[in-house]
Amino acid sequence: MNSNPSPLNLSRYEGCTITGALAVSAFIPDALTVVHGPAGCAHHNLSLLHATLLQHDRLPLPRVYATSLGEKDIIFGGEEALERTIERVLQRNPRAVCVISTCITETIGDDTDAVCGREWGVPVIHLHSAGFLGGSFNEGFVNALKGIGTLVSPAEAHDGSINIVGEKNLEFEVEENYEEVARLLGLLDLEVNVRFVRNTRVDDISRFSEGSLNILREGALDPIGRHFHEQFGQPYLSGFPVGLQGTRAFLQAIGDACGIKANEAIAAEKALQEEVAADFADLRGEVISLSPFGFQCPEFFLLSEVAGAIGVRIAPEGTEIPVPFGTPVGTAGIRRMLHQWRRFLHA
Amino acid sequence: MKQIALYGKGGIGKSTTSANLSAALADRGLDIMQIGCDPKHDSTRMLMHGTWIPTVLDQVREQGDEGISADQVVFEGYRGVRCVEAGGPEPGVGCAGRGIIATFQLLERLDALRGDVIVYDVLGDVVCGGFAMPMREGYAQEIYLVTSGELMSLYAANNICKAIARLSRRVRSKCALGGVICNSANITDEKTLVEEFARRINSRLIAYVPRDRIVQVAEINKQTVIEYAPESAQAGVYRALAGSVLENTAMTIPTPLDMDELESLALEFV
Repeated sequence: MNSNPSPLNLSRYEGCTITGALAVSAFIPDALTVVHGPAGCAHHNLSLLHATLLQHDRLPLPRVYATSLGEKDIIFGGEEALERTIERVLQRNPRAVCVISTCITETIGDDTDAVCGREWGVPVIHLHSAGFLGGSFNEGFVNALKGIGTLVSPAEAHDGSINIVGEKNLEFEVEENYEEVARLLGLLDLEVNVRFVRNTRVDDISRFSEGSLNILREGALDPIGRHFHEQFGQPYLSGFPVGLQGTRAFLQAIGDACGIKANEAIAAEKALQEEVAADFADLRGEVISLSPFGFQCPEFFLLSEVAGAIGVRIAPEGTEIPVPFGTPVGTAGIRRMLHQWRRFLHA
Repeated sequence: MKQIALYGKGGIGKSTTSANLSAALADRGLDIMQIGCDPKHDSTRMLMHGTWIPTVLDQVREQGDEGISADQVVFEGYRGVRCVEAGGPEPGVGCAGRGIIATFQLLERLDALRGDVIVYDVLGDVVCGGFAMPMREGYAQEIYLVTSGELMSLYAANNICKAIARLSRRVRSKCALGGVICNSANITDEKTLVEEFARRINSRLIAYVPRDRIVQVAEINKQTVIEYAPESAQAGVYRALAGSVLENTAMTIPTPLDMDELESLALEFV
């Protein structure tokens, strides 16, 4: 059962915490990840990651190690197994090692922080991931971002650039969504500093503190926004832009945060949105109904806003159209959604 | 086969009582096994004449659990009493409770749990599911509480009653309370107090073991009282305990007291 059915954060409040942590740590190309727990914890989560990436035609697959704890390690403590595994992993010369703790290591009280805190030559970071403490995918994701934040060196000054925080590395349209945000930033003559973390190298991560504003992928990451605000004094915006009006408001919010006049950018975006609506003028007068797939939320404001903008009516007798699996981001996301509507209507 | 377990506050004399009980039972010609379920692994030492036998978990740590044979973990002591120490991790790491579970599984696999009587000597408090293992899965069917008249000792005994009461509700459970053994701390009216405690938890005092210097003397000589001073009055007490345990058929489900009841009981005897 999905306890939080908003399309904005579908199923993030469920699932294994390790999956969330891995969805961050596996996307630092020059770092390696160790799952400190039974082999199955690593295997199952990595399988999920592999399956998702393969489905998205994304290669290569990240390398993940496990301490593969057995009963002996549980009785006598798993710290030695962790030390051995870190030593083994360091032979591959990573620039950093992420250690993901698990339910059982937290239960028996392994001091993962102490093992990670030894002098290893490169940063070895503990990403807290004991799911039985009430965590979910999101908890692991947030804890991992916090942990990776320890790689950042404090900057003397912010340089006006923008950090993108907590991209959903496992969503199909992750790159399209990023490009849309980067395009919108371009309208304001702003540049992206660090993608935190998506295929970002350790040295680049350390420059995170130079950014002037953090844009969070979604509201569920607010704890991270506050965390970095406290640490590096960066304000944050919670969430990528959603909806026609929402996208224009997003430009305004960035302008406000950066002390830039956003009027021209907003006007340009409004013109683009009118162009998109004109492109789909053939849909005017059509009637659709929104199918929730059993778990999606058809009352999502974006759907009625877009339908209203192009003159499509939502009614039970209309052609059934699925609520998009991932929330469309920005104007480009709406354009892709409308292509899907057209396919269903003209099928 | 009779399987009994002795539980009680740490330092109250469980191991001394267990070892003397095992020795007294062995004197009757019975086949006895004693299993120490405490990471301190000092339960069987007097039966082994002072030798620290390798613990089950020492062997597991050194060679893994696959190649272990019974003769590496079961050692014969006084009158053929077969002695086992579960052992445990280094203090402060790992999970001793899981160690007890692993020990039982290993002994089961080695077919080592046999004899006329098995005596389980378990550490002070039932701190987690692992240390309740001897009460579970039909191992020890009779639990004996070892306590003095001191409040903290009664408190620990009362807590163990909670575990017995809880576990006895399980469908497959066979464990029940066999009685209370008072190991005296030389407190005024101690026997009456512990007798009353036993009554209130729906049990009975099965033995009163007076405090006797001979226990320490035997220990210094690395023997049980039964072996070191068989003619002593104290040895007679342990033999009587052995007789009572063998004949005991009156098992009960305990009714633990709440803290106020326990304190007011103690107050009555101050």
